[in-house]
Amino acid sequence: MRDRSSVCSIGARRKATLLVLASAGVLAACSSSSHSSSPSTASSGGSTATSAAGASGSGGKLTIAFNMGAEADPFFIAMNQGAEAEAKSLGVNLIWQGDPSQYSPATQIPIVDQLLAEHPSALIISPTDPDALQPAVNQAIAQGIPVVNVDTHVTDLSKVLSFITGDNQQGGAAAADAMAAAMHYTAGQTYQVVVGASSATTTTNTARLAGFKAEIAAKYPGIKVMAEAYSQSQPAVANTNVNNWLTEYPNLKGIFAIDGTNASGAAAALQARNLVGKVALVGYDAYSTNVALLQKNVFAALIAQNPTEEGKLAVQYAVQYLNTKSTSGIPHEQTLPNIVLTPNSSAADLAQYTYPTA
Amino acid sequence: MTMTPASTEGQGRAAPAADPNPPATEPRDWARSILGNQQFLLLVALGALILYFYSKRSVFLSSGEMANILDDFCSLILLAVGETFVIVSGGIDLSVGSTASFAGVIGAFSMRGMVSHNDSEALVLVVGTIVCAAVGAGVGLVNAALINWLRLVPFVATLATLGAGAGMAIVLSHGIPIGDDTRAIIFSQAKVGPFSWPVFIVIGILVISWLYLHLSRYGRYTFALGSNEFAARAAGINVRRHLVSVYVLSGLLSGLGGMFLYLRLGSGAPTSGAGDELRAIAAVVIGGASLLGGSGRLSGTILGGLILTTVTSGLIISNVNPNWDQVAVAVLIALAAALQALRPGRRRA
Repeated sequence: MRDRSSVCSIGARRKATLLVLASAGVLAACSSSSHSSSPSTASSGGSTATSAAGASGSGGKLTIAFNMGAEADPFFIAMNQGAEAEAKSLGVNLIWQGDPSQYSPATQIPIVDQLLAEHPSALIISPTDPDALQPAVNQAIAQGIPVVNVDTHVTDLSKVLSFITGDNQQGGAAAADAMAAAMHYTAGQTYQVVVGASSATTTTNTARLAGFKAEIAAKYPGIKVMAEAYSQSQPAVANTNVNNWLTEYPNLKGIFAIDGTNASGAAAALQARNLVGKVALVGYDAYSTNVALLQKNVFAALIAQNPTEEGKLAVQYAVQYLNTKSTSGIPHEQTLPNIVLTPNSSAADLAQYTYPTA
Repeated sequence: MTMTPASTEGQGRAAPAADPNPPATEPRDWARSILGNQQFLLLVALGALILYFYSKRSVFLSSGEMANILDDFCSLILLAVGETFVIVSGGIDLSVGSTASFAGVIGAFSMRGMVSHNDSEALVLVVGTIVCAAVGAGVGLVNAALINWLRLVPFVATLATLGAGAGMAIVLSHGIPIGDDTRAIIFSQAKVGPFSWPVFIVIGILVISWLYLHLSRYGRYTFALGSNEFAARAAGINVRRHLVSVYVLSGLLSGLGGMFLYLRLGSGAPTSGAGDELRAIAAVVIGGASLLGGSGRLSGTILGGLILTTVTSGLIISNVNPNWDQVAVAVLIALAAALQALRPGRRRA
């Protein structure tokens, strides 16, 4: 389950018609041009062209179709790098395709249909909706194409080869631990904290918040969650929320910014009021800008997901199954723990877990 | 110049000229003239909201909280001012929010290099402001071109640039904020009295825009165009050229809005203006402008913007479920539109 903070908000807020009317052409053009200019993705672009031949398969290389949520999202860019590297080392073709920016089943379904028409050897997919993408997954399985789910999953996982995801609940709990450590939590004292989320319905947000609150209830009775608010994926709104909280709770000790946009808005508010180091800000997602702010101590900790590993494992399991025709050694569900980065993390760790930007 | 539509529309009329049934409607006339004065009602509403939130949380009337509301107001009102000109001219600009994001991202790219070279902050911000304004004006030019030469209605033309701008901002930035300019945040927080200095720049822009819309020939032409395009054309107004200038102005102010977002966040975020077009239009409509064009007051837009930002901050301060914010805005819009329909001698908006 990934974080839909920035990129997908467009999908959530705009009608599907909008893209059709206005930007689909422009976006597609931009995306493909930006990709062909990048050496790492040029190979995947090339494989698209050759995939039909490869997939028809007589003695050719295996072709893995990888359909992610939104191509421009740094989370999926990182996933792409893991998948590309694994495909290269295993000697298989990778078709990497998804909507340039919209995280929406309306745009995802036609792309899956088109991928399936090319008869890939296997399909790896991050469904943008568990029910809406179920028919496409069923159709692939009916055609004898094994399916792997990554990050998010379809409702019925029984025929899906494997589902690989990050553990948002554990990430939320890790955020509580990191915040308590940064506040030098001492039993018997009271600590006011707040939570900035994107919306009440984003599943990643709710899982992280649940993990955060459960950990507090279990280990830190002195921490009081005073308020929660939604940014609607807009950093300026997140900034307004935090500004108001800092006025309302002059003794605020901690902020859990549950995703990228909240992290940006909260970081700016603390810097503007010279509260860096006085309010423990724990953010989510290792965007390069967030990591830079972590190194300035604006964040006390960042919770990073591991999309690169998710992409790598997805390709690895798909190829392993195609080569052995056996599911042994392939976990049906695999949950990767989120990683806690702090200003004290080693440069190597920061470099490894920072999401790349193309 | 026979700009009668412009000159009469702006001044709220005291009472309907021809009253069919004088004695029976006298109390109604009184009520109507109050209802007709949207500015007065907006001021009352704003005062009531402030008192309400103050009664829930006394911290609401602190200078710190006023500064919060004004910071939020500044990023919104620039878009709403441009939107006022467009709506008065009889059009609509849906692209203002995404233009702010797009201009903010491009501006942030141009500033990032300078920041890393440790150029002086003032120079960095001047360059960023010019880039943002230019990008915004460019988007406005595209809007005008789509409307004037491709003959798209403003709704469709600006819907297209909304999608394109929002998408380009994401594609160029790869979905993440560009820059981590702590210096800009701190620089923009320098206080003049209780408020940060950008507030005063915005007040300056508001004064100039007010003079421009309500006291200049440019403003009269804009009202004339929105009241009756054919009459405006017959009166010798170059309609196409005027439309170009209105949309460029809206784009330019949106671009500056993007720069204000950069100052607040220390980065150009691709979603920073997402959805702001609806808030901007809401401010204009709450302020009493008709979506049919030809009527509206900039002071109304300003009050509308203040009401919106007061509600947003007030709900957070009083710890109400933030989803009520959208409901509250919806109610405000409906009330404002209903008032307009009740006002004498007005067309339905």
